[in-house]
Amino acid sequence: MNISIKQLFGRKPKSSSIAKQRLKLVITQDRFDVDDRVMTRLHHELAEVLAKYFEFSANSIKMDLKQEGNSYILVADFPYTKFHNTNMGQ
Amino acid sequence: MGKVIVVTSGKGGVGKTTSTANLGTALALLGKSVVVVDADVGLRNLDIVMGLESRIVYTSMDVIEKQCELAKALVRDRRVDGLMLLAASQKNNKDDIQPEQMKAICDKLRTTHDFVLVDSPAGIERGFSNASAGADEAIVVTTPDVSAIRDADRIIGLLQNAQIEPINLVLNRFSAQLVGNGSMMDQADVLDILNIDLIGVVPEDSGVITSTNRGIPLVYEDASPGAQAYMRIARRLTGQRIPIPDLEDKGLFSNIVKWFTRNR
Ligand SMILES: Nc1ncnc2c1ncn2[C@@H]1O[C@H](COP(=O)(O)OP(=O)(O)O)[C@@H](O)[C@H]1O
Ligand SMILES: [Mg+2]
Repeated sequence: MNISIKQLFGRKPKSSSIAKQRLKLVITQDRFDVDDRVMTRLHHELAEVLAKYFEFSANSIKMDLKQEGNSYILVADFPYTKFHNTNMGQ
Repeated sequence: MGKVIVVTSGKGGVGKTTSTANLGTALALLGKSVVVVDADVGLRNLDIVMGLESRIVYTSMDVIEKQCELAKALVRDRRVDGLMLLAASQKNNKDDIQPEQMKAICDKLRTTHDFVLVDSPAGIERGFSNASAGADEAIVVTTPDVSAIRDADRIIGLLQNAQIEPINLVLNRFSAQLVGNGSMMDQADVLDILNIDLIGVVPEDSGVITSTNRGIPLVYEDASPGAQAYMRIARRLTGQRIPIPDLEDKGLFSNIVKWFTRNR
């Protein structure tokens, strides 16, 4: 209702609502943007834990952040060459 | 045991020093004992904003270097009981002080005063870590514009990581007129984005500029809207429950005006 009347008068959207919309977008991005140093550390720590169970070459590991709608997904690829069966149950 | 509150923002020029000076004075006017601490080493301003610049002898740097006792470095504001200033060194820079050293100073001050307000420099670097090192709580100051709000969000994240709580927002330089014609975000918009508690809205007030020129904090001028806003925030800091008035006039007249004002 409100909108259609505005459209009738040919009004542009208020600059304050544009500001709010733009801020919401950029802040969601800022909040999920993980510090490079943190990523590197996480990379090492994950590799350390996984090395107990799997064999893989360190430089085959890929980590990435992906955006899907309003949420972010941490995707990690650890292509392994061998599974250490001996560590089971410890 | 007093509270240590860091006044911070991310972006410069949004009113941290103005807010520290006025809230410190307002709390003292309410009968509290207060120390305002300038943590902007190398770019000190709190002394001149409060009109105490001619009385600074020692700074926090002298205390850290054990050149003088903490109590001796505090400058007493003679206009009101219970208000002290600890100045920052102008000839050093932010890296000359460690966060632990600032924390030690704050911890000592809180044993003798009700409130310790720390005026933080802009930025997210060392100056911010120093200013927030000893803080229990934070006041984040922002103006209702995109860059200040984005930077405020960044600072809020850092404060949350440091487990500083509560984090209260002061929305500064607010203009009901600009909100009315759609060219400024209102308090609900800002809160929706930042998602923290609002402790007060300070209007754009030319009195802030003239009072700063004179070195007499605005809160001494009871009648000004800025002074009243700061007094209300100070009361809220002491635990009084005072509703935040809606500065945006939602009356019929302003709505009619809104219809006819052009978009900015
Ligand atoms: N509510 C206000 N109304 C008008 N001017 C203001 C207001 N708050 C701050 N200012 C002005 O804005 C400038 C920056 O304020 P300051 O407190 O020094 O910011 P910061 O410490 O965050 O850098 C100063 O010139 C100050 O007088
Ligand atoms: Mg300042």
